[in-house]
Amino acid sequence: MEKLNQVLLNPAVQVGPDLAAWLHAGGGLGLQAALGAPSAIIRCIADADLRGMGGAGFPAWRKWEATANAVGDCKYVVCNGNEDEPGTFKDRTLLSASPHQVVEGALIAALAVRARCLIFYLNPHQDSSLHTMQQAVSQWQDSPWLDKLSHALGHPLDIKVVASSGRYIGGEETAVVASLEAGFPFPRKKPPFPAEQGINNQPTLINNVETLANVSHILRHGAGWYRALGVGKACGTKLYSLSGDVLRPGLYELPMGSSLQELVFHYGGGMLQGKAFKAVFTGGPSNTLLTARDLDVALDFDSVWLRHSRLGTGAMIVISEGSSIIRKVAEYIDFFAKGSCGQCPSCKCGTFQLARLLDRVDGGRHSPADLDALQHLCQILPGSGRCGLIDGAVTVVKSSLHTFPEEYGLLVQQTA
Amino acid sequence: MNAAIEYQQASQNRASHATPPRRADDLSVAALLAQYHPDHAADASTLLHIGPSRGQPCHPRLAQLLQSNALIDGFDLAGAEQRSTDVLVLGGGGAGAAAALTAARSGAAVMLASKLRLGDSNTVMAEGGIQAALAASDSPQQHFDDAMRGGHHAADPQLLAQLASDAPGVIRWLIELGMHFDLADPLSDGGKLRYKQAGGCSQPRILCYRDYTGLEMMRVLRETVELEPGIQLLNRCPVVELLSHQDGSCAGAVLYDLEYQRFIVVSARQTILATGGCGQLHLQGFPTSNHYGATADGLVLAYRLGAQLRDMDAFQYHPTGVAWPPRLRGGLISEAARSAGALLLNGLGERFVDELAPRDVVTAAMLRECAAGRGIERDGQLGLFLDLRPLCGPGLPTLASQLPALQHLADKCGIDPTRDPLLVYPTLHYQNGGVVIDSQGQSSVPGLLCAGEITGGIHGRNRLMGNALLDILAFGRRAGRQAARQAQAARNKSSLPHLRGGIEHVYRWQRQLALAGLDASQPAPLLYPGQARLTLHRPASARA
Ligand SMILES: Cc1cc2nc3c(=O)[nH]c(=O)nc-3n(C[C@H](O)[C@H](O)[C@H](O)COP(=O)(O)OP(=O)(O)OC[C@H]3O[C@@H](n4cnc5c(N)ncnc54)[C@H](O)[C@@H]3O)c2cc1C
Ligand SMILES: Cc1cc2nc3c(=O)[nH]c(=O)nc-3n(C[C@H](O)[C@H](O)[C@H](O)COP(=O)(O)O)c2cc1C
Ligand code: SF4
Repeated sequence: MEKLNQVLLNPAVQVGPDLAAWLHAGGGLGLQAALGAPSAIIRCIADADLRGMGGAGFPAWRKWEATANAVGDCKYVVCNGNEDEPGTFKDRTLLSASPHQVVEGALIAALAVRARCLIFYLNPHQDSSLHTMQQAVSQWQDSPWLDKLSHALGHPLDIKVVASSGRYIGGEETAVVASLEAGFPFPRKKPPFPAEQGINNQPTLINNVETLANVSHILRHGAGWYRALGVGKACGTKLYSLSGDVLRPGLYELPMGSSLQELVFHYGGGMLQGKAFKAVFTGGPSNTLLTARDLDVALDFDSVWLRHSRLGTGAMIVISEGSSIIRKVAEYIDFFAKGSCGQCPSCKCGTFQLARLLDRVDGGRHSPADLDALQHLCQILPGSGRCGLIDGAVTVVKSSLHTFPEEYGLLVQQTA
Repeated sequence: MNAAIEYQQASQNRASHATPPRRADDLSVAALLAQYHPDHAADASTLLHIGPSRGQPCHPRLAQLLQSNALIDGFDLAGAEQRSTDVLVLGGGGAGAAAALTAARSGAAVMLASKLRLGDSNTVMAEGGIQAALAASDSPQQHFDDAMRGGHHAADPQLLAQLASDAPGVIRWLIELGMHFDLADPLSDGGKLRYKQAGGCSQPRILCYRDYTGLEMMRVLRETVELEPGIQLLNRCPVVELLSHQDGSCAGAVLYDLEYQRFIVVSARQTILATGGCGQLHLQGFPTSNHYGATADGLVLAYRLGAQLRDMDAFQYHPTGVAWPPRLRGGLISEAARSAGALLLNGLGERFVDELAPRDVVTAAMLRECAAGRGIERDGQLGLFLDLRPLCGPGLPTLASQLPALQHLADKCGIDPTRDPLLVYPTLHYQNGGVVIDSQGQSSVPGLLCAGEITGGIHGRNRLMGNALLDILAFGRRAGRQAARQAQAARNKSSLPHLRGGIEHVYRWQRQLALAGLDASQPAPLLYPGQARLTLHRPASARA
């Protein structure tokens, strides 16, 4: 059986903002199943082992259950479509090419946690996804489905499409909450987690676009079907944003747990210009680098974790032999420094200093003391910020220092 | 070689007529061009497979370069010297100098990089002159009409209209910079410009300085550029690749410093390509009149970055290149000779074309004579006679005072022009097509402007004498002004230093090459022709 694009990128569901076409392609069946037995939704999601696709891979049902059980009279569900990380381009594709599978999944989530308000929080820099979603949502609002849903909930469901600030930090979940309270996207301290106290102190479920897009399919075809899509213990499919020095970069939906080798060399067409594979930034620019030794790794959350890295958003930025790792890392740290919200002094100054030092190393204008400083920063910065940005930035620097010390001109310790 | 009439015999044939007879035209202009112009040869055109102008016709040799791999890779940028500027001008001919001066005088920080030295270019070789509708009887409209007709109505009317109407301002600017022009009667009225006739023009419109107008023009441009504090000059630093931002816009360029053998990465808010033409490709096996650096570098780089091209199958073969002696082959004899009355004769001693018809027509007619066996052979070189006697009659000023460069050339050929004709054959002279630009020199890639011979559309499919020198200044100045404006706008928007670019477009290009099954083993731009192919020096990689 063809393993590529089975569910979310299946050509049959790329129907754009036309609701009738989505219903014709089998849309609505998932929501219908959910409406038939609302109390069974979370069980079904748990059985399917649906993970959070926004980066953490946290089991979706745990957040859903926490939100459902929390006390509140105006619960929120937020679909997080802020996507702005270098190398990740999956959510914008879903939102603009098949918006209804996202909307239907979000409606089911709203039903499961008994929300009063559903918000699509979208990056305004991707105008086609914002525009398409506005069209898609207004069609649901005019359809009989919403009446059925309100009936099942016992109260009306308010649906909004909101443009985010478009800043990278605005995608962090507590920053999402802050933005939607009409504030600046400043992340907040956790706990409390949004599931307990989110927007206006109400329980708030925040899920990534890709997470929600899977939901209607799971309810329609069953948890067993979803589990069987994956390789080995992994369940379902994953969208991989493949970029870098490969012949065919692009967005590929493959069974969760497909190997890196397969993604790069089969689907990606192999290395550009036949160069040697050097490393890959897995899950975007904030994780540990994997090298040629790890080409056999199965691309699911747990297997990548066992190699001390993370699957993240599923972004795979491939670097070939001959390309400078330091330059790439310098670029990404520069991105983080510009993206830091500046609340935590350690993050504001730390990312700036890292960027400055890396720029000097990249340009060959550094002194030995600069390298010491870089290593010290990697020790003292982690955990010092309110959100994960600073930790991510340090992880990638540390990993590059560890894996490619010779590029920094550091002596490699020879073990006898 | 085709059958031809031997030199001695041809000389006798010529001497047998007091006034040479004119052979009747028996082919229409269209038929003549279709059958004999080199652009129309069966092997002179192919279709581009990849890139923004895919599907369009292009000369095969040029297509090979346009669809080639980059000279550099990502690792060349690691550790390279980084510089930044508002406006980066690439190319040190007339277009580059005019653009740099205008941008600097509009307040931008400018860097001007050239492959050889500032002024080593086609511009200095221009002999004939520059067109401008300044005479009382003349008008920009007539200038426009002549150029439109000469270009077979393929020119972009807006660009051409701007060319014609910018012309008087360009001449005034040149005079202000200190350039000399020939005057009608310098001793009595002291200030009236002298107009000469050019092929394809309805009236005399050429301004010149002797027959080394380009040299005189470049003299003042070079002096002014070198004295302009806002311009940083980088000689012997060819551009080897452009830089791009993630959104595909141009972010500057990578230069290769020949002296220190290292790369320099220049981040620029706006980049102006003025690298000239491609004569050194010797298309269709023709000799060329162009300077050493005319290797199509800018076209290759602009195309790779995504700039649209046009008319890449239309070239100008100048009718009167030197054919004998062989060591001077391809060297140009200016159209000034014909506009002053020189005649073209075949081996039978007949005239066969109106010498002041547009260049493509004259060239096609010459090639037809050669194909029909009426050419002249001397020491293995094929050609036709350019008879200079009409310029040397009693009562006329001497050739040495009128056209000193031509007299100089005749001396080098060992020919006395009052007696003996020169042997001439068409020579690859000018690239009619090039990068598509708008009225401000903006290409289809944001951040990338183009000016000079690298651009297409101004002259259609054939250029008239004197319109190139005009075009490089008119559009060089426009591009310089526009780039300075855009750089200023970007600076107003954000005071942060501008983002560094990368060569992501090169990787995109390599993917297209691989997917289209094209050969990625040949790198371009050539930088230097033939034997002089330069190998870029790279420090050994740390991991190798
Ligand atoms: C012999 C001859 C006679 C001519 N006579 C006339 C005439 O009478 N009237 C007329 O109007 N036109 C004439 N022309 C045409 C006219 O001179 C040219 O079209 C015009 O000068 C081109 O100007 P340019 O600035 O675009 O290019 P050029 O003057 O050729 O300048 C290009 C510059 O770019 C530089 N360059 C090239 N590649 C690179 C690179 N990779 N990196 C950095 N720099 C690079 C070159 O070194 C050069 O300095 C003549 C041309 C020739 C060859
Ligand atoms: C700095 C930072 C930026 C983030 N940006 C996004 C984002 O753009 N989109 C997104 O879905 N999740 C983003 N996340 C992850 C969210 O915090 C959150 O984990 C996610 O939206 C939860 O959805 P999921 O459980 O479906 O993965 C970001 C996290 C951090 C630390
Ligand atoms: S860690 Fe950085 S980005 Fe996160 S809240 Fe603190 S300052 Fe803002």
